[in-house]
Amino acid sequence: MGLHRARGALLRLVSVAIICMGFTQAAPAGMIGTASLLDDESRAASVSRVEILLARDDVAGQLAAFGVDRSLVVERLNGLSNAELLELEGQLDSQIAGGDLLGVIGAVFVVLLILELVGVTDIFKSI
Amino acid sequence: MCGLGKVFTESRLVPALFVLISGCATIPPSVSELPESGRAIELEGTPFYPQERYQCGPAALTTVLAMSDADVALDDVVSKVYLPGRQGSLQFELMAASRTAGRMPYRVDGTLKAIWKELEAGRPVLVLQNLGVAAIPRWHYAVVVGIDAERGQIILRSGTHKRRVTPIRTYLHTWRRGDYWGMVVLEPGELPAAVDRSRYFAAVTALEEAGRAEAAAAAWRAALRQWPGDTVPLFGLANAYLLLQDFAAAEKAYRDLLEQDRSLLAARNNLALTLAGQGKYDAAMEEIGVALSANRDPAMEKELKNTEATIRRRVASGER
Repeated sequence: MGLHRARGALLRLVSVAIICMGFTQAAPAGMIGTASLLDDESRAASVSRVEILLARDDVAGQLAAFGVDRSLVVERLNGLSNAELLELEGQLDSQIAGGDLLGVIGAVFVVLLILELVGVTDIFKSI
Repeated sequence: MCGLGKVFTESRLVPALFVLISGCATIPPSVSELPESGRAIELEGTPFYPQERYQCGPAALTTVLAMSDADVALDDVVSKVYLPGRQGSLQFELMAASRTAGRMPYRVDGTLKAIWKELEAGRPVLVLQNLGVAAIPRWHYAVVVGIDAERGQIILRSGTHKRRVTPIRTYLHTWRRGDYWGMVVLEPGELPAAVDRSRYFAAVTALEEAGRAEAAAAAWRAALRQWPGDTVPLFGLANAYLLLQDFAAAEKAYRDLLEQDRSLLAARNNLALTLAGQGKYDAAMEEIGVALSANRDPAMEKELKNTEATIRRRVASGER
Protein backbone atom coordinates (compact mmCIF):
# COMPACT_ATOMS: atom_id res chain seq x y z
CA MET A 1 0.00 0.00 0.00
CA GLY A 2 2.68 2.45 1.11
CA LEU A 3 4.90 1.31 -1.72
CA HIS A 4 2.06 1.75 -4.16
CA ARG A 5 1.49 5.28 -2.99
CA ALA A 6 5.19 6.12 -3.17
CA ARG A 7 5.27 4.79 -6.71
CA GLY A 8 2.30 6.96 -7.63
CA ALA A 9 3.99 10.03 -6.20
CA LEU A 10 7.20 9.21 -8.04
CA LEU A 11 5.38 8.74 -11.33
CA ARG A 12 3.64 12.07 -10.83
CA LEU A 13 6.95 13.78 -10.12
CA VAL A 14 8.51 12.29 -13.23
CA SER A 15 5.58 13.33 -15.39
CA VAL A 16 5.68 16.87 -13.97
CA ALA A 17 9.42 16.93 -14.70
CA ILE A 18 8.76 15.89 -18.30
CA ILE A 19 6.09 18.57 -18.67
CA CYS A 20 8.52 21.16 -17.23
CA MET A 21 11.14 20.16 -19.75
CA GLY A 22 8.69 20.92 -22.51
CA PHE A 23 8.62 24.64 -21.71
CA THR A 24 9.76 26.42 -24.83
CA GLN A 25 10.99 29.52 -23.13
CA ALA A 26 11.12 29.18 -19.38
CA ALA A 27 10.72 32.46 -17.55
CA PRO A 28 13.68 33.24 -15.29
CA ALA A 29 13.03 32.08 -11.74
CA GLY A 30 11.35 34.89 -9.83
CA MET A 31 10.06 36.90 -12.78
CA ILE A 32 6.60 38.34 -12.18
CA GLY A 33 4.53 38.04 -15.36
CA THR A 34 2.52 40.76 -17.05
CA ALA A 35 -0.71 39.05 -15.97
CA SER A 36 -0.11 40.49 -12.49
CA LEU A 37 -1.03 43.95 -13.83
CA LEU A 38 -4.13 42.90 -15.73
CA ASP A 39 -7.31 44.18 -14.21
CA ASP A 40 -9.24 40.97 -14.55
CA GLU A 41 -10.45 38.81 -11.74
CA SER A 42 -9.13 35.60 -13.26
CA ARG A 43 -7.38 33.27 -10.89
CA ALA A 44 -4.38 33.06 -13.21
CA ALA A 45 -2.92 36.36 -12.06
CA SER A 46 -2.39 35.18 -8.51
CA VAL A 47 -1.62 31.48 -8.78
CA SER A 48 1.79 30.04 -8.12
CA ARG A 49 4.10 28.45 -10.63
CA VAL A 50 3.54 25.08 -8.97
CA GLU A 51 -0.22 25.34 -9.49
CA ILE A 52 0.33 26.13 -13.17
CA LEU A 53 2.62 23.12 -13.49
CA LEU A 54 0.05 20.87 -11.87
CA ALA A 55 -2.65 22.20 -14.22
CA ARG A 56 -0.29 21.57 -17.13
CA ASP A 57 0.27 18.03 -15.95
CA ASP A 58 -3.46 17.45 -15.57
CA VAL A 59 -4.30 18.82 -19.04
CA ALA A 60 -1.48 16.74 -20.54
CA GLY A 61 -3.04 13.62 -19.04
CA GLN A 62 -6.48 14.55 -20.33
CA LEU A 63 -5.21 15.25 -23.86
CA ALA A 64 -3.51 11.87 -23.92
CA ALA A 65 -6.65 10.21 -22.56
CA PHE A 66 -8.67 11.77 -25.39
CA GLY A 67 -6.34 10.20 -27.93
CA VAL A 68 -3.68 12.84 -28.58
CA ASP A 69 -0.37 11.24 -29.50
CA ARG A 70 2.06 11.55 -26.56
CA SER A 71 4.71 13.09 -28.80
CA LEU A 72 2.33 15.96 -29.61
CA VAL A 73 0.99 16.67 -26.13
CA VAL A 74 3.78 19.00 -24.98
CA GLU A 75 3.67 21.04 -28.16
CA ARG A 76 -0.07 21.46 -27.79
CA LEU A 77 0.30 22.53 -24.16
CA ASN A 78 2.90 25.14 -25.05
CA GLY A 79 0.42 27.38 -26.86
CA LEU A 80 -1.94 27.65 -23.88
CA SER A 81 -1.94 30.59 -21.48
CA ASN A 82 -2.01 30.09 -17.72
CA ALA A 83 -5.65 31.13 -17.51
CA GLU A 84 -6.54 28.62 -20.21
CA LEU A 85 -4.62 25.83 -18.48
CA LEU A 86 -6.45 26.53 -15.24
CA GLU A 87 -9.80 26.56 -17.00
CA LEU A 88 -9.09 23.28 -18.78
CA GLU A 89 -7.81 21.57 -15.63
CA GLY A 90 -10.20 18.69 -14.96
CA GLN A 91 -12.70 20.17 -17.44
CA LEU A 92 -11.68 18.91 -20.86
CA ASP A 93 -14.75 16.75 -21.25
CA SER A 94 -17.19 19.58 -20.57
CA GLN A 95 -15.70 21.97 -23.13
CA ILE A 96 -17.43 22.48 -26.45
CA ALA A 97 -15.69 20.44 -29.13
CA GLY A 98 -16.65 21.83 -32.54
CA GLY A 99 -16.63 19.02 -35.05
CA ASP A 100 -20.06 18.58 -36.60
CA LEU A 101 -20.77 15.65 -34.36
CA LEU A 102 -24.45 15.39 -33.61
CA GLY A 103 -24.98 15.27 -29.86
CA VAL A 104 -25.35 11.57 -29.12
CA ILE A 105 -27.67 11.89 -26.16
CA GLY A 106 -29.77 14.33 -28.17
CA ALA A 107 -29.97 11.97 -31.12
CA VAL A 108 -30.94 9.09 -28.86
CA PHE A 109 -33.59 11.31 -27.31
CA VAL A 110 -35.09 12.11 -30.71
CA VAL A 111 -35.17 8.45 -31.67
CA LEU A 112 -36.87 7.61 -28.38
CA LEU A 113 -39.33 10.44 -28.88
CA ILE A 114 -40.25 9.16 -32.34
CA LEU A 115 -40.56 5.62 -31.03
CA GLU A 116 -42.78 6.97 -28.30
CA LEU A 117 -44.96 8.92 -30.69
CA VAL A 118 -45.51 5.94 -32.97
CA GLY A 119 -46.39 3.87 -29.93
CA VAL A 120 -43.40 1.53 -29.90
CA THR A 121 -42.20 2.61 -26.46
CA ASP A 122 -43.86 3.86 -23.32
CA ILE A 123 -40.96 5.55 -21.53
CA PHE A 124 -42.11 9.11 -21.05
CA LYS A 125 -45.63 8.59 -19.78
CA SER A 126 -44.31 6.58 -16.86
CA ILE A 127 -41.98 9.35 -15.73
CA MET B 1 -22.44 14.07 -26.13
CA CYS B 2 -20.62 17.16 -27.27
CA GLY B 3 -21.60 20.17 -25.26
CA LEU B 4 -24.52 18.56 -23.51
CA GLY B 5 -22.51 18.17 -20.34
CA LYS B 6 -21.64 21.80 -20.55
CA VAL B 7 -25.23 22.92 -20.35
CA PHE B 8 -25.90 20.94 -17.23
CA THR B 9 -22.82 21.71 -15.17
CA GLU B 10 -23.66 24.19 -12.51
CA SER B 11 -20.73 26.48 -13.19
CA ARG B 12 -21.88 26.86 -16.79
CA LEU B 13 -25.52 27.33 -15.99
CA VAL B 14 -25.10 30.69 -14.31
CA PRO B 15 -23.38 32.42 -17.24
CA ALA B 16 -25.84 30.69 -19.57
CA LEU B 17 -28.73 32.15 -17.61
CA PHE B 18 -27.03 35.52 -17.59
CA VAL B 19 -26.68 35.43 -21.36
CA LEU B 20 -30.32 34.43 -21.60
CA ILE B 21 -31.48 37.31 -19.44
CA SER B 22 -29.11 39.92 -20.84
CA GLY B 23 -29.89 38.61 -24.30
CA CYS B 24 -33.46 39.73 -23.75
CA ALA B 25 -32.50 43.07 -22.31
CA THR B 26 -29.93 44.10 -24.90
CA ILE B 27 -30.36 44.28 -28.62
CA PRO B 28 -29.07 41.14 -30.34
CA PRO B 29 -26.84 41.54 -33.38
CA SER B 30 -28.84 42.47 -36.45
CA VAL B 31 -28.46 43.67 -40.01
CA SER B 32 -29.24 47.21 -38.87
CA GLU B 33 -25.72 47.52 -37.35
CA LEU B 34 -24.12 47.39 -40.76
CA PRO B 35 -22.87 50.60 -42.34
CA GLU B 36 -25.08 52.32 -44.87
CA SER B 37 -22.47 52.68 -47.55
CA GLY B 38 -20.77 49.70 -49.16
CA ARG B 39 -23.48 47.23 -48.34
CA ALA B 40 -21.55 44.16 -49.43
CA ILE B 41 -18.05 42.91 -48.76
CA GLU B 42 -16.38 39.62 -49.60
CA LEU B 43 -12.81 38.43 -49.26
CA GLU B 44 -12.87 36.30 -52.37
CA GLY B 45 -9.20 35.47 -52.12
CA THR B 46 -9.64 33.56 -48.85
CA PRO B 47 -8.32 30.04 -49.43
CA PHE B 48 -10.52 27.01 -48.96
CA TYR B 49 -9.65 23.80 -47.16
CA PRO B 50 -12.50 21.32 -47.45
CA GLN B 51 -12.81 19.52 -44.15
CA GLU B 52 -12.50 15.84 -43.45
CA ARG B 53 -15.05 14.25 -41.14
CA TYR B 54 -15.27 16.07 -37.78
CA GLN B 55 -12.40 18.36 -38.76
CA CYS B 56 -14.06 21.70 -39.30
CA GLY B 57 -11.81 23.14 -36.55
CA PRO B 58 -8.48 22.44 -38.27
CA ALA B 59 -9.92 23.44 -41.67
CA ALA B 60 -11.29 26.76 -40.38
CA LEU B 61 -8.11 27.57 -38.46
CA THR B 62 -5.88 26.76 -41.44
CA THR B 63 -8.05 29.09 -43.54
CA VAL B 64 -7.58 32.13 -41.29
CA LEU B 65 -3.89 31.37 -40.65
CA ALA B 66 -3.18 31.05 -44.37
CA MET B 67 -5.05 34.32 -45.03
CA SER B 68 -2.73 35.90 -42.46
CA ASP B 69 0.31 34.61 -44.41
CA ALA B 70 1.30 32.19 -41.68
CA ASP B 71 3.28 29.21 -42.86
CA VAL B 72 0.82 26.37 -42.22
CA ALA B 73 -0.28 23.05 -43.63
CA LEU B 74 -3.66 21.51 -42.89
CA ASP B 75 -2.19 18.18 -41.72
CA ASP B 76 0.01 19.99 -39.28
CA VAL B 77 -2.92 21.97 -37.88
CA VAL B 78 -4.96 18.77 -37.54
CA SER B 79 -2.22 17.30 -35.35
CA LYS B 80 -2.36 20.42 -33.16
CA VAL B 81 -6.07 20.93 -32.64
CA TYR B 82 -8.02 17.78 -33.44
CA LEU B 83 -9.07 15.88 -30.33
CA PRO B 84 -9.85 12.30 -31.39
CA GLY B 85 -11.70 11.34 -28.20
CA ARG B 86 -14.11 14.24 -28.65
CA GLN B 87 -14.31 14.10 -32.45
CA GLY B 88 -13.80 17.82 -32.60
CA SER B 89 -11.63 20.75 -31.55
CA LEU B 90 -11.70 22.96 -28.47
CA GLN B 91 -11.79 26.75 -28.73
CA PHE B 92 -8.75 27.04 -26.43
CA GLU B 93 -6.76 24.69 -28.63
CA LEU B 94 -7.57 26.74 -31.74
CA MET B 95 -6.19 29.76 -29.90
CA ALA B 96 -3.13 27.86 -28.67
CA ALA B 97 -2.32 26.59 -32.17
CA SER B 98 -2.62 30.14 -33.54
CA ARG B 99 0.05 31.20 -31.07
CA THR B 100 2.42 28.37 -31.95
CA ALA B 101 1.91 29.34 -35.61
CA GLY B 102 3.25 32.80 -34.73
CA ARG B 103 -0.07 34.61 -34.68
CA MET B 104 -2.16 36.23 -31.94
CA PRO B 105 -5.75 35.05 -31.55
CA TYR B 106 -8.18 37.80 -30.59
CA ARG B 107 -11.84 37.31 -29.78
CA VAL B 108 -13.99 39.79 -31.67
CA ASP B 109 -17.17 41.35 -30.31
CA GLY B 110 -20.19 39.18 -30.97
CA THR B 111 -21.73 41.59 -33.47
CA LEU B 112 -22.14 41.73 -37.22
CA LYS B 113 -20.51 45.16 -37.12
CA ALA B 114 -17.35 43.67 -35.59
CA ILE B 115 -17.22 41.00 -38.30
CA TRP B 116 -17.82 43.64 -40.97
CA LYS B 117 -14.95 45.77 -39.68
CA GLU B 118 -12.56 42.82 -39.63
CA LEU B 119 -13.55 41.92 -43.18
CA GLU B 120 -12.85 45.52 -44.19
CA ALA B 121 -9.39 45.12 -42.67
CA GLY B 122 -8.90 42.03 -44.82
CA ARG B 123 -9.32 39.47 -42.06
CA PRO B 124 -11.87 36.65 -42.29
CA VAL B 125 -13.45 35.69 -38.95
CA LEU B 126 -13.44 32.18 -37.52
CA VAL B 127 -16.80 31.57 -35.82
CA LEU B 128 -18.40 28.87 -33.68
CA GLN B 129 -21.92 27.91 -34.68
CA ASN B 130 -24.35 25.46 -33.23
CA LEU B 131 -26.09 24.11 -36.31
CA GLY B 132 -28.41 22.04 -34.15
CA VAL B 133 -30.40 23.22 -31.19
CA ALA B 134 -29.45 23.43 -27.52
CA ALA B 135 -30.70 19.90 -26.76
CA ILE B 136 -29.17 18.35 -29.89
CA PRO B 137 -26.07 20.45 -30.44
CA ARG B 138 -24.01 20.24 -33.56
CA TRP B 139 -21.00 22.42 -32.93
CA HIS B 140 -19.38 23.70 -36.06
CA TYR B 141 -16.51 26.04 -36.91
CA ALA B 142 -16.70 28.08 -40.09
CA VAL B 143 -15.04 31.17 -41.51
CA VAL B 144 -17.03 34.29 -42.40
CA VAL B 145 -15.55 35.72 -45.60
CA GLY B 146 -18.32 38.05 -46.65
CA ILE B 147 -21.53 39.87 -45.77
CA ASP B 148 -24.11 41.04 -48.28
CA ALA B 149 -26.41 43.30 -46.31
CA GLU B 150 -28.42 44.16 -49.41
CA ARG B 151 -29.52 40.58 -49.89
CA GLY B 152 -29.35 39.70 -46.19
CA GLN B 153 -26.72 37.01 -46.70
CA ILE B 154 -23.55 35.90 -45.04
CA ILE B 155 -20.84 34.08 -46.98
CA LEU B 156 -18.83 31.34 -45.32
CA ARG B 157 -16.08 28.86 -45.99
CA SER B 158 -17.83 26.01 -44.26
CA GLY B 159 -17.27 22.26 -44.15
CA THR B 160 -17.13 21.03 -47.71
CA HIS B 161 -18.73 24.20 -49.10
CA LYS B 162 -16.29 26.64 -50.62
CA ARG B 163 -18.85 29.42 -50.73
CA ARG B 164 -21.75 28.72 -48.46
CA VAL B 165 -24.36 31.47 -48.61
CA THR B 166 -26.62 31.61 -45.56
CA PRO B 167 -29.40 34.05 -44.74
CA ILE B 168 -28.14 36.42 -42.05
CA ARG B 169 -31.16 35.60 -39.88
CA THR B 170 -30.32 31.89 -39.91
CA TYR B 171 -26.67 32.60 -39.31
CA LEU B 172 -27.49 34.75 -36.29
CA HIS B 173 -29.54 31.91 -34.76
CA THR B 174 -26.67 29.44 -35.13
CA TRP B 175 -24.14 31.99 -33.89
CA ARG B 176 -26.24 32.93 -30.85
CA ARG B 177 -26.26 29.26 -29.86
CA GLY B 178 -22.45 29.39 -30.19
CA ASP B 179 -22.44 32.27 -27.68
CA TYR B 180 -21.46 34.70 -30.49
CA TRP B 181 -17.92 33.34 -30.35
CA GLY B 182 -15.61 34.51 -33.11
CA MET B 183 -11.89 35.16 -33.43
CA VAL B 184 -9.37 36.62 -35.81
CA VAL B 185 -5.67 35.85 -35.98
CA LEU B 186 -3.46 38.92 -35.92
CA GLU B 187 0.10 39.28 -36.97
CA PRO B 188 1.97 40.35 -33.82
CA GLY B 189 1.98 44.14 -34.00
CA GLU B 190 -1.35 44.31 -35.80
CA LEU B 191 -4.31 45.75 -33.92
CA PRO B 192 -7.82 44.38 -34.41
CA ALA B 193 -10.23 46.63 -36.32
CA ALA B 194 -12.14 47.46 -33.13
CA VAL B 195 -9.79 47.03 -30.21
CA ASP B 196 -10.81 46.50 -26.61
CA ARG B 197 -7.97 47.49 -24.29
CA SER B 198 -8.23 44.79 -21.64
CA ARG B 199 -9.06 42.01 -24.09
CA TYR B 200 -6.07 42.97 -26.22
CA PHE B 201 -3.79 43.05 -23.17
CA ALA B 202 -4.99 39.61 -22.07
CA ALA B 203 -4.35 38.29 -25.59
CA VAL B 204 -0.77 39.58 -25.55
CA THR B 205 -0.16 38.27 -22.04
CA ALA B 206 -1.26 34.85 -23.29
CA LEU B 207 1.49 35.10 -25.95
CA GLU B 208 4.01 35.82 -23.19
CA GLU B 209 2.83 32.82 -21.18
CA ALA B 210 2.92 30.61 -24.27
CA GLY B 211 6.62 31.43 -24.58
CA ARG B 212 6.24 33.70 -27.64
CA ALA B 213 8.24 36.62 -26.23
CA GLU B 214 9.24 38.05 -29.59
CA ALA B 215 5.63 38.14 -30.78
CA ALA B 216 4.58 39.63 -27.44
CA ALA B 217 7.19 42.39 -27.80
CA ALA B 218 5.80 43.37 -31.21
CA ALA B 219 2.24 43.33 -29.88
CA TRP B 220 3.16 45.48 -26.83
CA ARG B 221 4.89 48.02 -29.09
CA ALA B 222 1.67 48.29 -31.10
CA ALA B 223 -0.23 48.74 -27.83
CA LEU B 224 2.08 51.60 -26.85
CA ARG B 225 1.33 53.35 -30.12
CA GLN B 226 -2.38 53.00 -29.36
CA TRP B 227 -2.19 53.85 -25.63
CA PRO B 228 1.02 55.86 -25.14
CA GLY B 229 2.38 55.72 -21.61
CA ASP B 230 0.06 52.92 -20.48
CA THR B 231 1.87 50.98 -17.75
CA VAL B 232 0.65 47.50 -18.79
CA PRO B 233 2.30 47.43 -22.24
CA LEU B 234 5.39 49.17 -20.81
CA PHE B 235 5.71 46.40 -18.22
CA GLY B 236 4.86 43.74 -20.82
CA LEU B 237 7.50 45.00 -23.24
CA ALA B 238 10.14 45.04 -20.51
CA ASN B 239 9.17 41.48 -19.55
CA ALA B 240 9.45 40.40 -23.18
CA TYR B 241 13.00 41.80 -23.30
CA LEU B 242 13.86 39.96 -20.08
CA LEU B 243 12.47 36.71 -21.50
CA LEU B 244 14.54 37.25 -24.64
CA GLN B 245 17.54 37.89 -22.36
CA ASP B 246 18.03 41.32 -23.89
CA PHE B 247 19.08 42.64 -20.48
CA ALA B 248 20.13 46.11 -21.61
CA ALA B 249 16.79 46.82 -23.27
CA ALA B 250 14.92 45.27 -20.33
CA GLU B 251 16.80 47.40 -17.79
CA LYS B 252 16.03 50.59 -19.68
CA ALA B 253 12.35 49.65 -20.05
CA TYR B 254 11.94 48.82 -16.33
CA ARG B 255 13.72 52.04 -15.31
CA ASP B 256 11.51 54.14 -17.61
CA LEU B 257 8.45 52.49 -16.15
CA LEU B 258 9.60 52.97 -12.55
CA GLU B 259 10.31 56.61 -13.25
CA GLN B 260 6.69 56.90 -14.29
CA ASP B 261 5.35 54.87 -11.37
CA ARG B 262 7.69 54.17 -8.44
CA SER B 263 5.15 51.98 -6.71
CA LEU B 264 5.22 49.13 -9.27
CA LEU B 265 7.00 46.55 -7.18
CA ALA B 266 6.59 43.81 -9.78
CA ALA B 267 8.66 45.96 -12.14
CA ARG B 268 11.28 46.53 -9.43
CA ASN B 269 11.43 42.79 -8.74
CA ASN B 270 12.01 42.08 -12.43
CA LEU B 271 14.54 44.92 -12.69
CA ALA B 272 16.53 43.21 -9.93
CA LEU B 273 16.53 39.96 -11.92
CA THR B 274 17.60 41.87 -15.03
CA LEU B 275 20.51 43.43 -13.16
CA ALA B 276 21.49 40.03 -11.77
CA GLY B 277 21.37 38.67 -15.30
CA GLN B 278 24.04 41.21 -16.21
CA GLY B 279 26.14 40.27 -13.18
CA LYS B 280 25.31 43.54 -11.36
CA TYR B 281 24.51 41.76 -8.10
CA ASP B 282 24.98 44.72 -5.75
CA ALA B 283 22.61 46.88 -7.74
CA ALA B 284 20.17 43.97 -7.92
CA MET B 285 20.17 43.51 -4.13
CA GLU B 286 19.67 47.23 -3.67
CA GLU B 287 16.52 47.22 -5.84
CA ILE B 288 15.12 44.26 -3.92
CA GLY B 289 15.87 46.11 -0.68
CA VAL B 290 13.98 49.19 -1.89
CA ALA B 291 11.06 47.04 -2.96
CA LEU B 292 10.94 45.11 0.32
CA SER B 293 10.92 48.26 2.43
CA ALA B 294 8.14 49.82 0.33
CA ASN B 295 5.99 46.69 0.24
CA ARG B 296 2.92 46.07 2.43
CA ASP B 297 1.48 43.04 0.65
CA PRO B 298 2.28 39.56 2.04
CA ALA B 299 1.96 37.82 -1.35
CA MET B 300 4.35 40.30 -2.94
CA GLU B 301 6.70 39.93 0.04
CA LYS B 302 6.97 36.23 -0.72
CA GLU B 303 7.83 36.95 -4.35
CA LEU B 304 10.44 39.54 -3.41
CA LYS B 305 12.06 37.25 -0.81
CA ASN B 306 12.19 34.49 -3.41
CA THR B 307 13.93 36.76 -5.87
CA GLU B 308 16.33 37.90 -3.15
CA ALA B 309 17.17 34.26 -2.38
CA THR B 310 17.64 33.49 -6.07
CA ILE B 311 20.08 36.36 -6.47
CA ARG B 312 21.97 35.39 -3.28
CA ARG B 313 22.33 31.83 -4.54
CA ARG B 314 23.76 33.11 -7.80
CA VAL B 315 26.24 35.30 -5.95
CA ALA B 316 27.25 32.36 -3.74
CA SER B 317 27.78 30.03 -6.67
CA GLY B 318 30.15 32.63 -8.10
CA GLU B 319 28.11 33.10 -11.26
CA ARG B 320 29.63 36.18 -12.82
